[in-house]
Amino acid sequence: MLEFLLALLTTATVAALLWPLLRTRLPARDRLRAELAIYRDQLAELDRERAAGTLGPTEATAARTEIERRMLAAGDAASATAKAKTSSDAVQKWLPPALSLFVPLLALGLYLQVGRPGLPAAPFADRVAERGTGHTGPQQLDVARLLTEARARLAQDPNDADALAALAEGLTLEAGGTVTPQALDALRRALQARPDDPRILYYLGLHEAQSGDSKAAIARWSDLVAKSPPDAPYLGLLRAEIARVAKAAGIEVPQPAQPPPSTMPTPSREQQEAMAQLPPEQRQQAIRSMVEGLAARLADAPQDRAGWLRLANAWKVLGENANAADAYGRADTLAPVDARILADWAEAHVRQLAPGAVPSPQAVAVLERLEKAEPRNALALFYLGVAAEAAGNKPAALQRWKTLLALLPADAPIRGMLEERIKGAGG
Amino acid sequence: MRRLLFILPLLTLALMAGFFAWSLTSGRDPASIGSVVVGREAPKLDLPALRPGDPPLTGAALRTGKPVIVNFFASWCTPCLAEHPLFTRLAEREGATIIGIAWKNKREDATAWLKKLGDPFKFAGLDLDGKTGLDWGLSGVPETYLIDGAGIVRRHYRGPITERDLNETILPFLKGAVK
Repeated sequence: MLEFLLALLTTATVAALLWPLLRTRLPARDRLRAELAIYRDQLAELDRERAAGTLGPTEATAARTEIERRMLAAGDAASATAKAKTSSDAVQKWLPPALSLFVPLLALGLYLQVGRPGLPAAPFADRVAERGTGHTGPQQLDVARLLTEARARLAQDPNDADALAALAEGLTLEAGGTVTPQALDALRRALQARPDDPRILYYLGLHEAQSGDSKAAIARWSDLVAKSPPDAPYLGLLRAEIARVAKAAGIEVPQPAQPPPSTMPTPSREQQEAMAQLPPEQRQQAIRSMVEGLAARLADAPQDRAGWLRLANAWKVLGENANAADAYGRADTLAPVDARILADWAEAHVRQLAPGAVPSPQAVAVLERLEKAEPRNALALFYLGVAAEAAGNKPAALQRWKTLLALLPADAPIRGMLEERIKGAGG
Repeated sequence: MRRLLFILPLLTLALMAGFFAWSLTSGRDPASIGSVVVGREAPKLDLPALRPGDPPLTGAALRTGKPVIVNFFASWCTPCLAEHPLFTRLAEREGATIIGIAWKNKREDATAWLKKLGDPFKFAGLDLDGKTGLDWGLSGVPETYLIDGAGIVRRHYRGPITERDLNETILPFLKGAVK
């Protein structure tokens, strides 16, 4: 029935298209004949009127002449158009049959090529060549590596809590973010050894949220937030997850308390404006004296962690990297700093290095913490590579540099230098 | 007659504007396409088993005298992944009878997927060509049906079930509170 309707529609469409094409082929001769018939009618009427006496002989002759002139003009026009049309006559004659053959043939060809029901399936998975091999991104490789490493460690010690947590994480990432039963099993076993591990608690909460227990998940995660150091690197993610799950389940979450602000004064708006008016040298001096004042005050109140962080930032801006690194260290002893500050701290360390120099043990310590928090941090990858090479551990250096090289954009200016070093280390 | 023809476009416009105004203000959800199976006896079920060694999946599985959940899924479907832990929980903690039907999904793909994520299905069938899906008024996967002990479809969820569906309708239904 449907096929019949479709055929009917097609016929109607084709007819609508062909109709004007065929109609223009009405020959010029037919039109002339019609015109002449009208004029002959008019002449006959003229004769009748004259016979009836309603028209005088003079008027009748004038009208006759006029009609005859029009007949001649119509004949001339018809022969002129007929002459002009001879060239397009061939097109007129051949276009409709050509079109009515060509269009169905084209349609049939297309159909046989791409639309016929017997065509073999072309599943996405089989078209690897079309997709290219560049599709296995670093993310997938990371998950595969995480899983193999975790399984290797579990083969040695089946109760290694850290490896169990890593296995659970890998399985979850592999399943597109859903905590699978095997992952859950691993997490529960790992929790017995490490009841406070943030990673284990996070994934257990995620499982609860996914299996319809958002309340339990939020309770678990809020507890974890409360127990974590205030600048734990995962806190941002955790708070975002709590907010997401709470919103999806329609649960209200109490806002977490903000950390206490620093007691150290910040320059007021007027002071800042006054400083902007100063010539550059004096301004630099004014800033320096303010920073030194801050440093002196912090010597009296060394427990002000936010103050140390601000001082470190100020030293860094002034280019006093050794002082900056020192201030970051003071803040860090009060409470461990998060990944973002670690990156600044590491930068303050490596900026002190002469070109080609090896980072100091303190710098390496900071860089290693940074790498742990952010495994793909370029600064950490590069300088830890330098340190490893200097310590004679070429494989470790090569691994970091190659990871870095893979992360760099194709037009990064330091690529050349990095490739040189990789070659120099024998990679 | 002529004049009437000129009014026609204006009339059409007015009709359309009226329809749009009604659409916007009546609270109608244009994404909802309703369901033809709710309130009727569950459509027929006659499918090969998904798991090797199981008996074929037939309508008998729907008429056990207990409420049943029927879930159409596929390994290639991402929302199915999101709702899967909810079915696992329903099977494990609430002891629900869940029938899983792999829709337009190769057997090995579906079984591997269930192996990875856990298999909460008491009965599992394979609807490779999607014909049973047509009978059930399926528009895609995932879709879930609640069927009461007498074999009458009581609810039809298009899209993944959520925690809210679980708490507000599915759990009360399993306890017999929702008719």
